[in-house]
Amino acid sequence: MEGDYFNETSYRGTKKFSQQDVKTADATGFGAAADDYMERGIDLNEQLIRNKPATFFMRVRGDAMTGAGIFDGDTIIVDRSLKAESGKVVVATLNGEMLIRRLEKTFNKVRLLPETPKHATIEVDASCDSLGIWGVVTYSIHPV
Amino acid sequence: MKAIVDCNSFYCSCERLFRPDLQQKPVVVLSNNDGCIVSRSDEAKAAGVGMAVPYFEARPLIQQHGITAFSSNYNLYGDMSWRVMETLRHLLGNATKVEVYSVDEAFIDLGDIPAEKLYDTAMNIRQTVEQWTGISVSIGVAPTKTLAKLANFLAKKNKAATQCVKVLATREEQVTAMRQTRVSNVWGVGWAYAKKLIDLGITSAWELSTMPEEWGYTNLGGVVGARLIRELNGLPSREMEKPLVTKKMIATTRMFGQPVTDINDIKEAIATYTSRAAEKLRRQHSAAKVISVFIVPREQNYEVSFRRGATISSHITLPAATSSTNELIKPAVQLVDDLYEQGKVYKKAGVMLAGLEPDESIQGNLFAAGPQKYQRLLMDMMDNINFSMRDDVLKFAASGLARNWKMRQELRSKRYTTRWEELYEVR
Repeated sequence: MEGDYFNETSYRGTKKFSQQDVKTADATGFGAAADDYMERGIDLNEQLIRNKPATFFMRVRGDAMTGAGIFDGDTIIVDRSLKAESGKVVVATLNGEMLIRRLEKTFNKVRLLPETPKHATIEVDASCDSLGIWGVVTYSIHPV
Repeated sequence: MKAIVDCNSFYCSCERLFRPDLQQKPVVVLSNNDGCIVSRSDEAKAAGVGMAVPYFEARPLIQQHGITAFSSNYNLYGDMSWRVMETLRHLLGNATKVEVYSVDEAFIDLGDIPAEKLYDTAMNIRQTVEQWTGISVSIGVAPTKTLAKLANFLAKKNKAATQCVKVLATREEQVTAMRQTRVSNVWGVGWAYAKKLIDLGITSAWELSTMPEEWGYTNLGGVVGARLIRELNGLPSREMEKPLVTKKMIATTRMFGQPVTDINDIKEAIATYTSRAAEKLRRQHSAAKVISVFIVPREQNYEVSFRRGATISSHITLPAATSSTNELIKPAVQLVDDLYEQGKVYKKAGVMLAGLEPDESIQGNLFAAGPQKYQRLLMDMMDNINFSMRDDVLKFAASGLARNWKMRQELRSKRYTTRWEELYEVR
């Protein structure tokens, strides 16, 4: 095993798959022909979760991110293994609170931007101890 | 090279992951029924909270230092433990290189990584686990499990200097480390052996390592003792173990949420524990032939000693092995009649299933008789419903409805990772 092997770690969703997951028509007559074209159904876990041990669900309260299409009561998927790059929507910890905001990084400043005029931008020094990135938001599930 | 990966104050770390306001603050987690302290953050240790101290005894200290206490949230800890272990399995690239040793510890097999790369590799594992799961770990690396444990002990003892990673690759490093470690802190040296060794003038791990293997054999419990000395000398004698897939005995025991005097409450509890044990039995495709039940009363002079009285137990051998909950509940509840004494106050009860054999009534088994097969189908359906709906939606009436004896968990946090209705709310 190479020492630097760990530096590029990626983990892809579901690792277990059984042939029984492929459905068949169970028809006795002519319909059985369709069985030749049966394939696995779509698994949302597999599509929406890239890294299972690092993925958490959270519920959004409030309207801080309505401009980004994330509303009160929505369920978000948070991946802790992703790098928190500038421009990503993140869950940040600041002064003991967890916030969902858009992250903006410059060489000496970090900004947490709400996507609503109702909240103010939070600006901290890049060296600030009380700011942490809990995880990167990858999807929001919104009931229609 | 082998390593042990050990989560730092695991239960507290799980709680803090969803309570950023408690970072660097003292936190403790209580055992079942909020009985005593089972996990302490470093800050709580510094405040003088001891391990396994009863909650009521630690209460003044907890209030004085503003320590946050939690009831055990095993749903959360179990899920977080899986995440840590899964991350390790992914990093090692092969599940057989990870031996889950307990809920918060795993041995990993690092193979033949060159000595100069060991520290960086271990540090990388530590950082990845923390990044992915939010749980901080300490890692000890050495040629044997026993020395890895010792390395980890030193890493934890001085987190600031070691950054929670300690590698003992060379013999020199191992000797230095062993000289600094008291014999009582060596993995596998229990309280009784430690006393014996100290009486013989063997006080450090290093002194123990200089003893001949044969001496270990005669004085430290036979082959285990000989292996212990070999391991301290860097000779691997405890290999990576496979998980115990099929258990030989299955037990479910619990403290009651409050002292119980009524026989019907005890019967309900026993029926519930039997259901749980039978569920575990079916999960490993076994059937049980022997069922034993025990109940533990409080001592007469309880107010003075706080101690429990002697365990009272009895068992019964069934005509044929079974995995059906209803067939197990009946004899279990009957045993309570034999054991129960009017007027006593009970604190704890348990059920043990033994005489395990492969379940003959499993679906698809050609030799299974008719009614047995349907019994098994019924159990499978019940298990499926209970596992998918949770909270034992289907249970036998014998398990009761009021459940006066149920576990006390007054300070439990939400089940953030396993319940859709209890997700963390972010603003």
